[in-house]
Amino acid sequence: MAGLTLKNIYKRYENSGKKKKKQQNDYAVKDLNLLCEQGEFIALLGPSGCGKTTTLRMIAGLEDITKGEIFIGERLVNNLHPKDRNIGLAFEDYAMYPPLNVYGNVAFNLRAKGVDKAEIDRRVREIAPLMQIDDILDKMPVKLSGGQKQRVNIARAIIREPELLLMDEPLSHLDGKARQSMRVEIKRLINKIKCTTVYVTHDQLEAMSLADKIAIINFGVLQQFGTPAEVYDDPVNEFVASFIGEPPMNILETTIIREEGTFFFTFADSNLKIAVPSRYYSVVSDGFRCKMGVRPMDVLIGGEGSKGTPEEIATFENLGDERRIGIRVGDMLLMLITEDEKRYRSGDIIKLEVREEKTHLFDIETGNRIREQA
Amino acid sequence: MARIQLENVKKSFGRVQALNGVSIDVKDKEFFVLFGPAGAGKTTILNCIAGINLPEEGVIRFNEEIVNLVDPAHRNVAMVFENYALYPQMTVYDNMAAALRSNLYKTDEATIKEKVHAAARMMKMENLLERLPSQLSNGQKQRVAMGRALVRTPNVFLMDEPLAHLDAKLRNAMRTELKEMQANLGSTCIYVTHDFMEAMALGDRIAIINKGEIVQIGSGDEIYYMPCNEFVAQLMGDPQINIVPGKITEAGGAYVFSFEVHGQNITVSMPEDKELQAKIREAGLKAADMGLRPQNVKYSFEPEEGYFKTTVYSYESIGNKSVIQADCGEYQLRMIAPNGLKVQIDQEIYVRFEIDHSMFFDPQTKEYVSRYDEKSIKAFAMEQEVS
Repeated sequence: MAGLTLKNIYKRYENSGKKKKKQQNDYAVKDLNLLCEQGEFIALLGPSGCGKTTTLRMIAGLEDITKGEIFIGERLVNNLHPKDRNIGLAFEDYAMYPPLNVYGNVAFNLRAKGVDKAEIDRRVREIAPLMQIDDILDKMPVKLSGGQKQRVNIARAIIREPELLLMDEPLSHLDGKARQSMRVEIKRLINKIKCTTVYVTHDQLEAMSLADKIAIINFGVLQQFGTPAEVYDDPVNEFVASFIGEPPMNILETTIIREEGTFFFTFADSNLKIAVPSRYYSVVSDGFRCKMGVRPMDVLIGGEGSKGTPEEIATFENLGDERRIGIRVGDMLLMLITEDEKRYRSGDIIKLEVREEKTHLFDIETGNRIREQA
Repeated sequence: MARIQLENVKKSFGRVQALNGVSIDVKDKEFFVLFGPAGAGKTTILNCIAGINLPEEGVIRFNEEIVNLVDPAHRNVAMVFENYALYPQMTVYDNMAAALRSNLYKTDEATIKEKVHAAARMMKMENLLERLPSQLSNGQKQRVAMGRALVRTPNVFLMDEPLAHLDAKLRNAMRTELKEMQANLGSTCIYVTHDFMEAMALGDRIAIINKGEIVQIGSGDEIYYMPCNEFVAQLMGDPQINIVPGKITEAGGAYVFSFEVHGQNITVSMPEDKELQAKIREAGLKAADMGLRPQNVKYSFEPEEGYFKTTVYSYESIGNKSVIQADCGEYQLRMIAPNGLKVQIDQEIYVRFEIDHSMFFDPQTKEYVSRYDEKSIKAFAMEQEVS
């Protein structure tokens, strides 16, 4: 059963004021289609201003839909009031009622609905240990840390047993460590209550670690919708490739040349030469220009007797857990990651090897993936 | 360029003791990082060096000369802030030239032009000189802020989280460039951050600060491999180091580490390391906290010799690798795993410690006692520092 369906959703913000009346705004969201299965955890991921929060607000009913249809379960909700959509909301800021204690805040919504007292108490007591707020139920909001406030906030969203849970950057106010532990808690919680969830974030790490599927959006247009492994290993374009992964994928402009029947990637002002995987032979030619992408994990330092290209190290960063090395390729920097304990210095020469089968090709103009012909 | 020394510097704001006897000695041409959590006093140290804050006690020296009473303008320091602080009505060129045109420096326009262009070349922003700050991206603004610091020849560069406002991709790129740039300039640089990766990547030496006091000073390797207490161990490294409370017992010269997993007692025999054992005897360490980095905890989904059973608390990707957290009752264990495993929450998992990579802390004071291979790690760290 579908948990949530978006069909050809458009959103345009109308200009107010006389001056701009004639001039139409561009769409904030353009022809968005998403199908989210019952119980699935979906992340909407993109840079700020890409339309991800607008989409969430349309699902919640806080924003009109310009064109298209939204279904929650089997119900068309376009014209349904937010309170009738049976959704739980948790936003970035907590918006708690300051005169009420934690218990009062969590119970507020049920009280407003006129649920009887014993039932409210039963549900609060059931959810409190899940969110680890059982020992702070009688505290006032001002006494809580950011992490605790966000726990209360989420508890408040799920106590209504919603059909759909919507979260907008719930972790972005928290510092690094609290964020990490809350991420784990959210994941465990959703796993337990099995509620269909849409989660908005600009942090690729959060999306990768939490979501069953990620919808990557840029300029209001859906770029790719897939599992974390799919968007990481098989990005549809340069935008997705460079947005997912830390440090980002190396993307370098290249000219492909042919030597004795073998194709190679070559780079301006660099002696680096990487063999083109043979599956691309049907789409490339001698002198073909495109961009080559390869993840820093797939660039290696060759050992003794390596046939890799000798390259000078431009930058060396020791990060404790791992070490990152930068190689100048023309005016670009090719990064590689190694867990090798050896300490290099800039100026050292290493043999550079690339896992050729892991390279991707992108169109120089559009940034779209160039794929081998099936 | 200069050597910068602080001796027993104290500074309070009202009842809050921001700095409580800070002493550091930054060598000429060194890249020195001040690293600690929010509110530790990092920025206050920077402000004391710049002369923006006056310490109540203690001495600040530039090249052996006491500068406590020298006003900020005459200390000849260049500051770079998190929020750029550019003049919005001036072009990039004028922003960079502003300091040289001031009454203090009064440089002629020809020299200014030469210096601004040299700095712009170094920061790769020659094409931006005619733009206004409002026409720049955040990354470009930060370049201008740094370029502006470069046009002068200051005693020291003071940088206060210059990369904190940038997105992850840009931060990576700028971090790499910054190190290259500083090496080329051969300048002294004091750099404040709360990001451990920046501290490790940039610092020739790192000073760890907490609650207005210096906790440890050393190279990245020293601090990573031999943190002086559990606090420092937990600051360095992502995912965080595992701290396992347990007991060390000796029987006939052989040492055993025992700990609890869900109330069940597990023992691991400790491979021989004479120095480590001597240190443990000397400290009279019975109960001990063992510190072990996530990459040194191994797992299996089948029962295996030497592995103990527990359950998965969470499994999440952190980019190019993933972290499994295992629930051990009183504490949790983090370990590194590849992406894309089929792991269910609460499923069984078998875990083994690579105990010959562990370090030990006193469970009362949380102070560092010793670790495996301490001698070779010390030698290794020394070699790094000399080079």
